[in-house]
Amino acid sequence: MKNDSPIVFVVDDDFRVREALTSLISSVGLRVAVFNSATQFLESEKPDAPACLVLDLQLPGTNGLELQRQLVTGDAPPIIFISGHGDIPSSVRAMKAGAVEFLSKPFNDQELLQAIDAAITRDRAARQRRSELAELQRHYDLLTPREREVLPFVVAGCANKVTAAELGTAEITIGVHRGQIMRKMGARSLAELVRMADTLGIPRRPDLSKSRPA
Amino acid sequence: MCKTQLLHGVKNVSKSAASPGEDPLASSIPDGTAPLESILCTEELQSRASRPRNYEKENQALRTLVCALADSPKTIFQTLAETIKDITQCDSAGLSLLTIDGKTPDIGGQRFYWPAIAGMWSSHVGGGTPRDFGPCGDVLDSNRALLFRHFERRYAYLVPVSPPAEECLLVPFYVKGVAVGTIWAIMHSDRRKFDAEDNCVMSSLAIFSSSAYQAVVSIDDLKSQIKAREEADSRLRELTRVEVGVIIDGLEAQVRTREEFHRVVVETASDAVVSIDHRGDILLANHATTTTFGYEPSELIGRPLTMLMPEYLRNLHEAGLKRYRDTGHRHINWQGTELIGLRKNGEEFPVEVSFGEINNDGQRVFTGFIRDISERKQAEEALRARERDLSLIIETIPGMVWCAAPDGELNYLNQRLLDYTGTSPDAWEQLGWTNFLHPDDAEAAVRAWSHAVATSQSYDNQCRLRRFDGVYRWFRVLGQAALDAEGKVTRWYGLLIDIDDRKNMEEALRNSEMRLSRATRSATVGEFAASIAHEINQPLAAVVTNGHACLRWLSAQPPGLAKAQEAAERIVRDGAEAGEIVRRIRALFKQAPLEKIDLDMNAIIDEVLVLVSGETMRRRVAVETDLDKGLAPVAGDRVQLQQLVFNLVLNGIEAMDSVLDRPKKVFISSRRHSPEAVLVEIRDCGVGLMDPEKVFEAFFTTKENGMGMGLAVCRSIIDAHHGRLWAASDERAGTTFSFTLPPATIRAVS
Repeated sequence: MKNDSPIVFVVDDDFRVREALTSLISSVGLRVAVFNSATQFLESEKPDAPACLVLDLQLPGTNGLELQRQLVTGDAPPIIFISGHGDIPSSVRAMKAGAVEFLSKPFNDQELLQAIDAAITRDRAARQRRSELAELQRHYDLLTPREREVLPFVVAGCANKVTAAELGTAEITIGVHRGQIMRKMGARSLAELVRMADTLGIPRRPDLSKSRPA
Repeated sequence: MCKTQLLHGVKNVSKSAASPGEDPLASSIPDGTAPLESILCTEELQSRASRPRNYEKENQALRTLVCALADSPKTIFQTLAETIKDITQCDSAGLSLLTIDGKTPDIGGQRFYWPAIAGMWSSHVGGGTPRDFGPCGDVLDSNRALLFRHFERRYAYLVPVSPPAEECLLVPFYVKGVAVGTIWAIMHSDRRKFDAEDNCVMSSLAIFSSSAYQAVVSIDDLKSQIKAREEADSRLRELTRVEVGVIIDGLEAQVRTREEFHRVVVETASDAVVSIDHRGDILLANHATTTTFGYEPSELIGRPLTMLMPEYLRNLHEAGLKRYRDTGHRHINWQGTELIGLRKNGEEFPVEVSFGEINNDGQRVFTGFIRDISERKQAEEALRARERDLSLIIETIPGMVWCAAPDGELNYLNQRLLDYTGTSPDAWEQLGWTNFLHPDDAEAAVRAWSHAVATSQSYDNQCRLRRFDGVYRWFRVLGQAALDAEGKVTRWYGLLIDIDDRKNMEEALRNSEMRLSRATRSATVGEFAASIAHEINQPLAAVVTNGHACLRWLSAQPPGLAKAQEAAERIVRDGAEAGEIVRRIRALFKQAPLEKIDLDMNAIIDEVLVLVSGETMRRRVAVETDLDKGLAPVAGDRVQLQQLVFNLVLNGIEAMDSVLDRPKKVFISSRRHSPEAVLVEIRDCGVGLMDPEKVFEAFFTTKENGMGMGLAVCRSIIDAHHGRLWAASDERAGTTFSFTLPPATIRAVS
């Protein structure tokens, strides 16, 4: 089994449920790691792989919803709630807070496994996004402060001449900056650079003509 | 170079010498004058063979000088010159002082003059040299001793001064750090030459010269002051002669005015003014005496003062006056003494008397100012009466009152408050008021009080206050600041209101509310069902999941048979557990009619004791029984009654878990109760119950692992048997659960 093969975390205080879930999930070829409490889960080391969390709503100590709240920041895996007698308010709160699924015990194996599958797919995509963003950020970090100033003009489609006038420099200098930006960001076209800037959340320079009297 | 110029420096050599202070040489040095270096040989002092230092002679010389300074400061400079000559064995010695007028020392002077010379040059006393062109000036400029050889070669004005100086040693001296002159020694032949020793001696003498100089300057100052004063005196004498007459006239006028003034004051005074002679007879009385005492002044003059005082004071007055006449001792304070006066109509009234004595041409006259203070006294008395009333009110009202200083310091507690706490005001002061509060309330009370004191806002707090017997009761403590005109706190007034009963009622009400709400909750079927569902659901969920897993392992390619078998085994295990839970619950809440048969309660107790023997052994609990052999049979369901006794015994055993300081014991007794009923008591020696009524409610539990169902089940069993179940608790003896069951026969009848 490859190291980055998906893994399912199970947090439930009932050993019978942990045993049964381990058996069921591993029967479809997924890795399983079980924990008897939120604390144990939080303190454990997790492998760097696409994952999801099957979480019991009623846990001693930190309950499922509280754990979900603590995990909402960071790169936490998507959550599937399971509950002995889940009430509607709890399930609504769980789903609002981003849970993938909320299943009542006893649950249908198909439902659970589909939810796990969806959650892992979601996590894989999120991990992909995160790694792409990190990569882009790494490229962006290579830019000089001046190049970062020029970038919003470039992605806004400003001509070098306009940018040069706005930043108080020579047109040819802007041309050099533009070349450097394309190279450092690894963009093969202006369109690609624009997409990158969007991903990084870099605002495009607002249309200059609007802020100037005609 | 003309002769007048040459002689200029030495006054008495030529009467034609220029007046001191005008020195033509100071600004221009004549041509052909020998340069300064050519007449100096100071360095030679060090190379010449030096005679041994004669300390004895030096000391003696200085002693002589000091004595001379003290005895005859006028001749000190001459004594100094002779001492220099004597000690250095030179031919001439003297000193030069700066001066303006040529005879008084003045550090601002432009000339040196010679106030004293001893030896061969002694006839030149009074002569001198210019400040800026001469040996003394050179010494002051270079600020050290200099040895000159034939200085007249440079300073030609010295040529006529005879005999000529072969060598001259000059040493500067200072007053308050400013050079004011030099002392010098001259050899007129080469009989001996000055050496380093001479230099040393001269330096010592220079220090002395400074003191001598100051003495002389002071004397001159004094002289001029004395002279100035004498002049002023004489001027004053002159003036006085003219003005005394005028002054005396003025004084007489003033005296007349003052007498008039006094007369007006006395006559218009609102106080009675009475003067007496040394015998105590009245010399004078003003108009106010009439209003005060009722007598016309004419009725009083010549009569004894005692007529204005009641009988019982007269002897005292006469004795006091006599004593004062004889010894000068005053028996009362002369200023503002309160006495009793007697009016013409015989009425006594309080007076305040101030009096004084004057000696009028050898006659002693005493004058008294007598003020009627009846009204003031009445007002004071009224005020005191009001204070007494108020304090009586405060001390007797059925409330606790306190006062505090503006800074929050308690300074008054009424008797009721002291009685309640059983302490004295001292104890409050020593222990601090917080000591009387319940420890849990002290911090909040202090905080609230500090806030009130800091902001001058009313204080309103609830706290428990310890009674003299140690019991705490709840009080509402109110405090209100009394403010002055500027809004500053002058005092805090406070009240304590006993709210303990109200507080307890509130507490009881809250408890019963809680009980009600719990009862309501336990009665809610849905809630109860949820609890049961949870119990069953866990194993059921495991069973279902294991079932799915089992199927999946079986249908896998190739089938995971071992895994499938494990899952199947777990299904059996968890399924059985779910069944057990269902069975337990059904047993607890079976609604089916009971199968009642005649039962011996003692036998049931024995059966239960066998069941719990394992548990009692494990927990080291002793079980004692006292069963009545002649017990009538009861009608009931054997299993349920077993369950009832089992639950109660187990409850007792568990209640003693935390008991460590005494043997754990459960006592079970059975006996007849009322005609035929059976009473069973199960007593433990545990910690007891806070609220014996609560324990029978469903979901009430004090145990960590309990569902709170056991005793509720007991009650439902006893209800189904038409019996009664209750608990009684005692801190020392633990808890006793008792139940009664009606006899079988009565059951049959009904």
